[in-house]
Amino acid sequence: MDTAGSVRLSLEEHTLGNGLRIILQEDHSAPLVTAHVMYHVGSKNERKGRTGFAHLFEHLLFQGSENVPREGHFKFIQDAGGTLNGTTWFDRTNYFETLPSNDLDLALWLESDRMGFFKPGITSEKLENQREVVKNERRQSYENRPYGLAFETVLDEAYAEGHPYRHPTIGYMEDIDAARLEDVHDFFDRHYGPNNATLVLVGDFEPSDALERIDRWFGEIPARPVPDRPEVPSPLGRGERRKVMQDRVQVPRVYLMFHSPSFNDPGFEATDVLTFLLSDGNSSRLRNALVYERQVAADVSAFTWPTESVGMCFVVATARPGVGSIELEREIREVLDRLVADGVEGAELEGGLNRARRALVEQLNAFGDRADAIAHAAVLRGDPDYVNSAFDIYAGLEAGDIEGIAREVLQPDRLTSVHVVPEGGDA
Amino acid sequence: MSAVDRSIRPPAGPPRPLVLPDFASPGETGPLDVRFARRHGIPEVSLRLVLEAGAGSEPAAHRGLASLAGRLLTEGTADRDAVAMARWLDRLGIGFDASVGYAVTIISMHALTDVLEEAVEFLGTVVLEPTFPEREVERVRGERLDEIDRQMDDPATVAGHAIIDALYGDGLYGRPTGGVRDTVSGITPESLRVFHERRYRPGRSVLMAAGDVEASRLADAVGGVFERWEGVAERPAPPVTPEAPRPRVILIDRPDSPQAEIRVGTIGVPYGTDDHYQIVLANAVLGGIFNSRINMNLREDKGWTYGARSGFRFRRGAGPFVAQTAVETAVTADAFGEILDEIARMQEELVPDEELELAKHALTLSLPLQFETSAHVTRRVSRQHIYDLPEDYWRGYRDRIEAVTAEEIRAVVRRRLPRERLTLLAVTDADSTESALGRFGEVERRSVEDARG
Repeated sequence: MDTAGSVRLSLEEHTLGNGLRIILQEDHSAPLVTAHVMYHVGSKNERKGRTGFAHLFEHLLFQGSENVPREGHFKFIQDAGGTLNGTTWFDRTNYFETLPSNDLDLALWLESDRMGFFKPGITSEKLENQREVVKNERRQSYENRPYGLAFETVLDEAYAEGHPYRHPTIGYMEDIDAARLEDVHDFFDRHYGPNNATLVLVGDFEPSDALERIDRWFGEIPARPVPDRPEVPSPLGRGERRKVMQDRVQVPRVYLMFHSPSFNDPGFEATDVLTFLLSDGNSSRLRNALVYERQVAADVSAFTWPTESVGMCFVVATARPGVGSIELEREIREVLDRLVADGVEGAELEGGLNRARRALVEQLNAFGDRADAIAHAAVLRGDPDYVNSAFDIYAGLEAGDIEGIAREVLQPDRLTSVHVVPEGGDA
Repeated sequence: MSAVDRSIRPPAGPPRPLVLPDFASPGETGPLDVRFARRHGIPEVSLRLVLEAGAGSEPAAHRGLASLAGRLLTEGTADRDAVAMARWLDRLGIGFDASVGYAVTIISMHALTDVLEEAVEFLGTVVLEPTFPEREVERVRGERLDEIDRQMDDPATVAGHAIIDALYGDGLYGRPTGGVRDTVSGITPESLRVFHERRYRPGRSVLMAAGDVEASRLADAVGGVFERWEGVAERPAPPVTPEAPRPRVILIDRPDSPQAEIRVGTIGVPYGTDDHYQIVLANAVLGGIFNSRINMNLREDKGWTYGARSGFRFRRGAGPFVAQTAVETAVTADAFGEILDEIARMQEELVPDEELELAKHALTLSLPLQFETSAHVTRRVSRQHIYDLPEDYWRGYRDRIEAVTAEEIRAVVRRRLPRERLTLLAVTDADSTESALGRFGEVERRSVEDARG
């Protein structure tokens, strides 16, 4: 697997008769297996008035099905010594468990009952319970947390009314309240067919045996009509967007978001490396200037989200006391402008590529993370082997690629700027 | 192709034996004790240097000294300033972290195997040669003071700091390891240099390493860098356990909060008590796993919260027990009532067999997962060194958990969590919750600013 600090995973691909895509990655280094099912549906598929539904629906898929009792997923997997979870994002929803490899059938039973036999298990009582849990998740993770509503404000500013990326995955409170049982049935029928899903197995199994088991558990689930993919209009052309919001905080924080290449676009990797050069490590451009030299920021981070349809590149910085948000944004943009004007140095790029390579290796280390990376590449790019080819793409990046993407992306007309300021204060 | 029976949980196949990594000396490494486990596969190595330089070894007047020293290791040597150090580390692409607990300082590094020698050289430089330059000390201390202020914006952090203050006061475990405003303000470059001089010593330290490299390559790298390091930093005595707390009710006012951050706490136990495994299992049933009683009750039955959990912090001294959750403000008092009822129920009734088996399996069958990656392995095994756990702590873990009985669980919850020693604390809107909390005792109301201490 090791070729000079990179990783080469051998992937075996199959498709069942019902359209379920299977990717097997055999690895006997630990007596464990991860089963990861990724459905090609997320918050961007939600309709108006039902924001947050894909995520609420994900909660309901832990509430049992025809053959699995309520809370059965947690109970059986913990009883087997495994871990499990599910997550929802703009573009996809995933369900996964890692457990001792002698219990592979348990994972396949639970995941296939979810996919094929969910509807008989759902009740309005379960919906009401999980609606309250999700509302408390929104309160705990967003509303009652400092700066917790900043990202959803960025999205709301950056995208036009009706754009699929305009609302946050957690959803708005009134929409979480509005969800009905018929929405649950409809969403399941529309998005949870085997031909809208990818199953990734990583770990300690024999591929031919595993494939046979998968076919036994999943093969009889009928295919459904493939859902329409939502139209995702280009977000460009709205010009610079700005908003100031107040929160119960003591110092301002600035959120800058630039429309950038998506995970599917050429230029994604260059944007990713650009963010490493900007804020990863104390020698990075923004940390060095804002935290060390000027001492105007307590922290700063730049990152890009690997989204399917439109990309987002963020710079987020928290002010030191006495520094206003306008001053902080000006300092950030001076650093960005300087990078665009002066270009990238050789040693700087070498370090950025080394850090990016380590990050790629790290995300392939634990079976659960590796399965997620493979599924993400398979579902969003249609190319699971990207987990391997990414090493070559990153290694081939040159200073000109980073400079080109910086010139293209770090422009005022691609910028959404949200300043979070203390209550009673202004920017 | 045979049909499957979906009506029951499918039977498990024969289990593969649990293989825990063997840590051994990689060869001659000089004054530093090195323990290494080879891991084949991913081309990376995980290094974990455990130093007797925890918050427990700093003067009480300078709480936060060890933590600040950890943050400043990479901020300059006689030959390189902070920027040069940062450039060096960032060019190699190594992950670096210095984390400071009550017992020890741990420097952890993740490197791809092709830069192992450079990673060890960097480690040697930050451990042996930091100079704590005045300008950087001033900056990092200022950042820490800002951070202390900013943490008061987050109700979960306010609650976490307030519960340990209520239980331990000025004692070591009553303050975060990063210190508080008064103690951090007085830290100087000189106090950092003295602390480093005394506490960063090879005697009593250990370097845990795991990854896909040859043992001899690791030994050569470490031996060369640390060969002239000398001296011992003796372990400080663990903190004295304070008297059992009174049953208090503390309400920290955060007007108009959509939720209440609530905590139920008491003083727990150190590692290594006779009832250690009973405590671990009892807590798993109460609040240690997803299917635990307080999570099932407050989340899956009531829908009041996104999650609820509990835990004992085992340390060299008696760390706290804390049950915690965030609930809708309107049910603040009811949520306390449910948590107290769940603790009382464990003191009255025996845990049914099926529930006990589930908790045992969750703890023991998960061992392969807990030892999955190099980083997991070095983290787990270094705990044995830090807390003087028996050599077979992990190897014997399964049998010791399996041996615990329902009667022992009932007895241990009675002994360790009696109602009269539980402190209740909430951070939320006080006007709308205070009167309902009166049923648990006299309410001590204060502001977030008071709670800052």
